[in-house]
Amino acid sequence: MFESKVVASNAVKRHVKVPLLPEICILVAGVVCFYIFPSNLGFLTEIVVMALFVLSLDLLLGYTGIATLGQAAMFGAGAYCAGLFAMYVHPDPLIGLLVAGIIGAGIALVSGSFMLRTHGLSFIILTIAVAELLFAAANQAQDITGGDNGLYGFAVAPLFGIFEFDFYGRTGFFYSLSILALAFLLMRQLVRSPFGLAAKGLREDQERMRALGYPVYRHLMIIYAIAGSMAGVAGGLSAQTVQVVGLQSLSFTLSAEALVMLILGGTGRLYGALIGTVIFMVVHHMAAALDPSTWMLFIGLLLVTTVLFLPKGLMQLFDIFMAWIKVGRRSE
Amino acid sequence: MLKLKLLLATSLAATTLTMTAQADDPVKVGIVAPLSGPFSDYGQQFRQAIDAYQAQHGKSVGGHSVEFIYKDNGGPDPGRTRSVAQELIVQEQVDYLGGFVFTPNALAVAPLINKAKTPAVIFNAATSAITQQSDYFVRTSYTTPQVSVPVAVYAKEEGIDKVVTLVTDYGPGIDAEQAFAKQFEKDGGEILRSVRMPMNTTDFGPFVQGAKSEAPDAIYVFLPGGPPTYGFVKAYADNGLMEEGIRFLGTAETQELDLQTLGSSALGLHTGFHYSQAHDSPENQAFLDSLHSLYPDAIANWASVGAYDGAHVIYKMIEATGGEKKPEAAVDAVKGLSWISPRGPMMIDSDYRSPIQNVYMRKVVKGESGELVNKEFKVYEEQPDYGRFEE
Repeated sequence: MFESKVVASNAVKRHVKVPLLPEICILVAGVVCFYIFPSNLGFLTEIVVMALFVLSLDLLLGYTGIATLGQAAMFGAGAYCAGLFAMYVHPDPLIGLLVAGIIGAGIALVSGSFMLRTHGLSFIILTIAVAELLFAAANQAQDITGGDNGLYGFAVAPLFGIFEFDFYGRTGFFYSLSILALAFLLMRQLVRSPFGLAAKGLREDQERMRALGYPVYRHLMIIYAIAGSMAGVAGGLSAQTVQVVGLQSLSFTLSAEALVMLILGGTGRLYGALIGTVIFMVVHHMAAALDPSTWMLFIGLLLVTTVLFLPKGLMQLFDIFMAWIKVGRRSE
Repeated sequence: MLKLKLLLATSLAATTLTMTAQADDPVKVGIVAPLSGPFSDYGQQFRQAIDAYQAQHGKSVGGHSVEFIYKDNGGPDPGRTRSVAQELIVQEQVDYLGGFVFTPNALAVAPLINKAKTPAVIFNAATSAITQQSDYFVRTSYTTPQVSVPVAVYAKEEGIDKVVTLVTDYGPGIDAEQAFAKQFEKDGGEILRSVRMPMNTTDFGPFVQGAKSEAPDAIYVFLPGGPPTYGFVKAYADNGLMEEGIRFLGTAETQELDLQTLGSSALGLHTGFHYSQAHDSPENQAFLDSLHSLYPDAIANWASVGAYDGAHVIYKMIEATGGEKKPEAAVDAVKGLSWISPRGPMMIDSDYRSPIQNVYMRKVVKGESGELVNKEFKVYEEQPDYGRFEE
């Protein structure tokens, strides 16, 4: 009796949960990077913003099985709205971000309302079409968006009225990092909730979910809107930290690159989105620094190797590692 | 994960340390340009021209060696450009920046150079408004209105009264259309129709036929370089506009990198621009000799001369400040600076820090060895940036 109690408490100890552990890890990793690369904060911010964007894609592709090549539509819309909001309405960054998120969700709802009635290839084509339409609209509306020249000349007020967006990008970095951690927390809650589990069900078999009496279309719409608002927030962050919004924020290239990062990291895993983005962008950055004209070769090799040997993305390495540790423990 | 990051960190830190240890305190210049991907031609032209300049004028000025550091920003991507420029300023400690092909990229560094007080020389980006965004911008390329207005003046002088404009539907194209139309209508000409062609057009036949049916005296064209230009020029030749006397007026369409690919259908096209590789002057010859001694197959175009003169302006700034970091003095030193460039005489406007230069009317003809050249036949001297009067 006594013995079993000890065993039980040991078991509890081993499984003791530190609340918010992943988010704390993200923040700590960010702070470590901040001190190691104090002069690369612009690049680090780029990574953080991209990670948030890839995370939104992971919710769609990884958790719900919605393959899209037009996620940049929401990113770009959020970016332009945050820029225009700062220019004409109010320079506060947080309100701007909120607006960017709402716009992202709005675009997702409007486009999703007809797109989500289709599946597979036709859905993918439609997502590309919507993003291209927005791209063309932004190019046409020169007076509002600046067209090819980009939207510029908006200033963002200090965060909380205290922290000014400085030249080194310190505020921009910690601001983006906090938003990423927050989004990660929300995502974690979401995918674990019954709602998130239902999303996984949709990924596995929509027909079956429908047969079970599940409101499939409504569920897809909500998820598409949530992912859209996250992409919008990522776009807003990009606008606020770079202070110029270019047409490339709505481009097909951006959507496709995000997809590549996600697949590299591993779809359907929240960490996969983060790791894929970090590895892709760091390798890109370092290879481009080593040889500015042929770095694409490194990226290509990395992708081919990953897809060939780790079809589930880099997260598979982590799985293999964990399995190896378990085997080690058992043999002890 | 963390270990991996640490590993990356230490290796990166190690490389930067060794790099800084090697250099004996030269003046550093960071060049931001596309060096990979579809726009890498620009980066290559910049690099070759800067090498040619250094081969001619030495790698040091006033006893200070000058080191150019190249960073890739891919293409039109303000976010990437900003972070690359920030690294150059903070980590590499550059005193000057150069490059900048696309307008949004140049605009993205404006807040940075304002705060860091780093003079930035624009080798290419041609939208007038850029230099107003920072007092540390100096431009050595041209602006779209600067080269479009003389073409309109020339058209009217040639007795052309009716024109159809055909431009690619994006910022620079619309700038060109408006600058041309404004001048042409002011001189009493008539724009029959203004056509804006979508960016990814591959078949220009319908546009050219549509223009032909209006029976204008000439068409005024603005296209981004590369495949769209090939497609358009071919459509112009195939639809027999030249035979009907509808002349082709343009600016950069017959630029040297595209010219040989355009082939014989380019013969007889008229363009107005500030640089032709065939410009007949000792300065241009010296530049081309230097360029070809380093890169035998190199072709010089406006991007080359923009970078070549950019290097000149940077050398002048370093000379004026004795290699020290005095950004205001450096920019002041080149305001109103005039010199004979390979393109001809040019001057930096002291108010707008953009060039005042000759714009040449050229015609595509066969050169001595059968290759196509832009032969200059008329000069509009000391043209300002016409776009600066707006806004």
